[in-house]
Amino acid sequence: MKGEFTPKIVGFLCNWCSYAGADLAGTSKLKMPPSVSSIRVMCSGRVDPVLVATAFLRGADGVLVAGCHPGDCHYEKGNYYARRRFAILKKVMETLGLESERLRLSWVSASEGPRFQEVITEFTEKIKKLGPNPVKEKTSL
Amino acid sequence: MEEKIGVYVCECGPNIADNVHIDRVLDAVSGLEGVVVAKRHKLLCSEDGKKFLKQNIEEHGLTHLVIAACSPKLHELTFMNVCEEAGLNPYLFQLANIREQCAWIVEDKEEATEKAIRYTRAAVSRIRYHTPLEKKEIESNPDVLVIGGGIAGIEASLLLASKDRKVYLVEKTSSIGGMAKEFKQLFPKMEPTSNILEQKVQDVLKNENIEAFTDTKVEEVLGFFGNFVVKVKKKTETEENEFKVGAVVVTTGLNLFDPTKLSRYGYGTLSDVYTALEFERMNTKGKILLKNGNPPKSVGIIHCVGREEKGYCSRVCCLYSIKFARYLKAEIPVVNISQFYSDLCVPGKSYQRFYEETKEEGVDFIRAQDIEVTESNGQMSVNYKIESRKPKTEHRNVDMVILAPAIESSGDSSEIAETLNIHQGDEGFFTEEHEKLGPVSTSLEGVFIAGCAQGPKSIPDSIVQAEAVAGRILSSLIPGRKLEPEVKISEISDAFCIGCKTCISVCPYSAIVFDEIKRISVVNEVLCRGCGNCSAACPSGAASHKHFTFRQVYQEVMEALR
Ligand SMILES: Cc1cc2nc3c(=O)[nH]c(=O)nc-3n(C[C@H](O)[C@H](O)[C@H](O)COP(=O)(O)OP(=O)(O)OC[C@H]3O[C@@H](n4cnc5c(N)ncnc54)[C@H](O)[C@@H]3O)c2cc1C
Ligand code: SF4
Ligand code: SF4
Ligand code: SF4
Ligand code: FES
Repeated sequence: MKGEFTPKIVGFLCNWCSYAGADLAGTSKLKMPPSVSSIRVMCSGRVDPVLVATAFLRGADGVLVAGCHPGDCHYEKGNYYARRRFAILKKVMETLGLESERLRLSWVSASEGPRFQEVITEFTEKIKKLGPNPVKEKTSL
Repeated sequence: MEEKIGVYVCECGPNIADNVHIDRVLDAVSGLEGVVVAKRHKLLCSEDGKKFLKQNIEEHGLTHLVIAACSPKLHELTFMNVCEEAGLNPYLFQLANIREQCAWIVEDKEEATEKAIRYTRAAVSRIRYHTPLEKKEIESNPDVLVIGGGIAGIEASLLLASKDRKVYLVEKTSSIGGMAKEFKQLFPKMEPTSNILEQKVQDVLKNENIEAFTDTKVEEVLGFFGNFVVKVKKKTETEENEFKVGAVVVTTGLNLFDPTKLSRYGYGTLSDVYTALEFERMNTKGKILLKNGNPPKSVGIIHCVGREEKGYCSRVCCLYSIKFARYLKAEIPVVNISQFYSDLCVPGKSYQRFYEETKEEGVDFIRAQDIEVTESNGQMSVNYKIESRKPKTEHRNVDMVILAPAIESSGDSSEIAETLNIHQGDEGFFTEEHEKLGPVSTSLEGVFIAGCAQGPKSIPDSIVQAEAVAGRILSSLIPGRKLEPEVKISEISDAFCIGCKTCISVCPYSAIVFDEIKRISVVNEVLCRGCGNCSAACPSGAASHKHFTFRQVYQEVMEALR
């Protein structure tokens, strides 16, 4: 396995839906690549775009923001704000020379263990295809 | 003070130990800055495990506790309690999830171990930036605001007041009673409305626990279940009234579909075409007469006016249309009555008989389509099609037409939805939390709906819902019970806030107000639920989400990227 690219992915999971969905994937013993480090936040709307941008500048190969399905946010509208914010951030990423697909927004509910597995597996594959973060070199001066 | 971080890794029997090299996790963290002890344990959540943790906190004088075990969704509270018992602030604790989101999902033990190390290091790295947070307790208020003084609002108020709850009943018109006070009699028993309604209205006005405001509207409702702050304003006064309640009941009732929108019925253009409500009023106030002063000889009652446009059946129109035939027969025995309907809706145990008995009195029920009301040479007629194998066009001459318009939600519904932050369905009525599991509650805890505000229905059905609401409130809002507001809320730094109000625009709970004097935004600690939206949106870093601060989450991100 040596030499193969193992991506580093940061996964922000909202406490009420996606974090619980990830736990359910665990209790169901669904296997997935270890590439995503999950970070619990109360709501997808809590995810600061500055933090996501920082993650990319510091070398993250991908960032996943996962929250409740539209209409199901525990705080009513957090996921709509997240969607809006990250649509803008994706545009900024392109101008920085980062493929916007490196940022993924997904909706995973507390009962969707298999979907969580699917999201993690697919996203990891996608990032593997894209290869390492291209701006990492520049910023590691 | 020097920080002393203790790290404890749980084996969870074989659950974690089988797929993670626990000693390697301990090795990886024991050299980290501030870590004074790193140990493993078989079952941390057991009584033995909790005792072990408590002893360790005390023995090592730990200032911070990191546990690597199962999901915080499972045992965060368990260990927070252990901290409290050991005299450590429970927010100086962090739980790394190396079971559900690591040992159980990663196939390879090497990879799982590395991931467990990353998670545990992240927790250590983050915890250095934790600050102690204090729990608060606030009183809950058992009193209730009822918006709308129709039969549903009256019934809910009386029941709540009978259990010594203080009720603030707010009615926008000059008197309570709602739509029903316009009716002389009620279907199906044809008892005088006053038998039911007047007594209840008197009971409300006499009741010391009920404060009824008329000509009044609700201006603002802020807060949450147990703690709402309400502002109301009387039409004639400039000053607002403010009070506190624990729950809100919305009983703003119905409006009628405006038949001028459908010119084919002649409403507003032909002289003797009335809406159902106008007819009720005419009957209640005096005699049933045409504009020319004579009693009608032939009356056409048209059902389902606006039903197609609204897209739902209003449930009571057929029934009150039958009631109208009774009114007419009682006053003018020789009158001809034709009812034009598309589907006859007489559900329930007593309504079928009500219909049959009325029919026997000589009332014609005609199943008709494409109904149109016209007038030529002073003669009004109802023209319609009969559905059959060969559709026929027919007409009946009448001198009075009564329209049964669809029931709509109160015209104030969107205003109320906005004030309270509750939802309206496509039809305009307020949406219940769940059709079967929460039929009188809404998506907002502590806000309830009853009567026609929830959907078209009869008086008995409105009363049933009002009683359900009272039951829900009396059983969940208990006097003397303390509420614990969220601790992990947001705060705004005076020094960094630039007064841009972005945070105010994204807060789902209107929990941020603008201090006009200091020109900065301020979080209301009771209203904030700690979603963290404001801190993600704030361009200056002034808004900060406690326990999920930029710094704390940043530390986790950095560990993920090592
Ligand atoms: C013509 C007709 C005849 C009917 N006959 C019968 C019958 O014989 N038997 C029967 O069982 N049912 C009958 N119904 C149905 C009956 O009218 C309703 O079931 C009943 O009125 C519902 O009561 P409610 O309290 O939900 O609403 P409403 O009676 O509409 O009362 C709502 C109250 O809220 C007030 N309000 C509205 N908005 C606000 C606001 N923003 N702030 C403060 N106050 C506000 C209104 O002014 C009103 O006083 C009839 C309906 C119609 C249209
Ligand atoms: S604390 Fe969690 S991980 Fe440890 S034994 Fe209990 S359930 Fe298992
Ligand atoms: S965290 Fe901010 S946005 Fe969320 S409820 Fe509190 S004040 Fe409002
Ligand atoms: S968004 Fe930030 S800077 Fe703007 S008003 Fe709110 S706290 Fe102040
Ligand atoms: S709580 Fe899950 S997205 Fe807001």
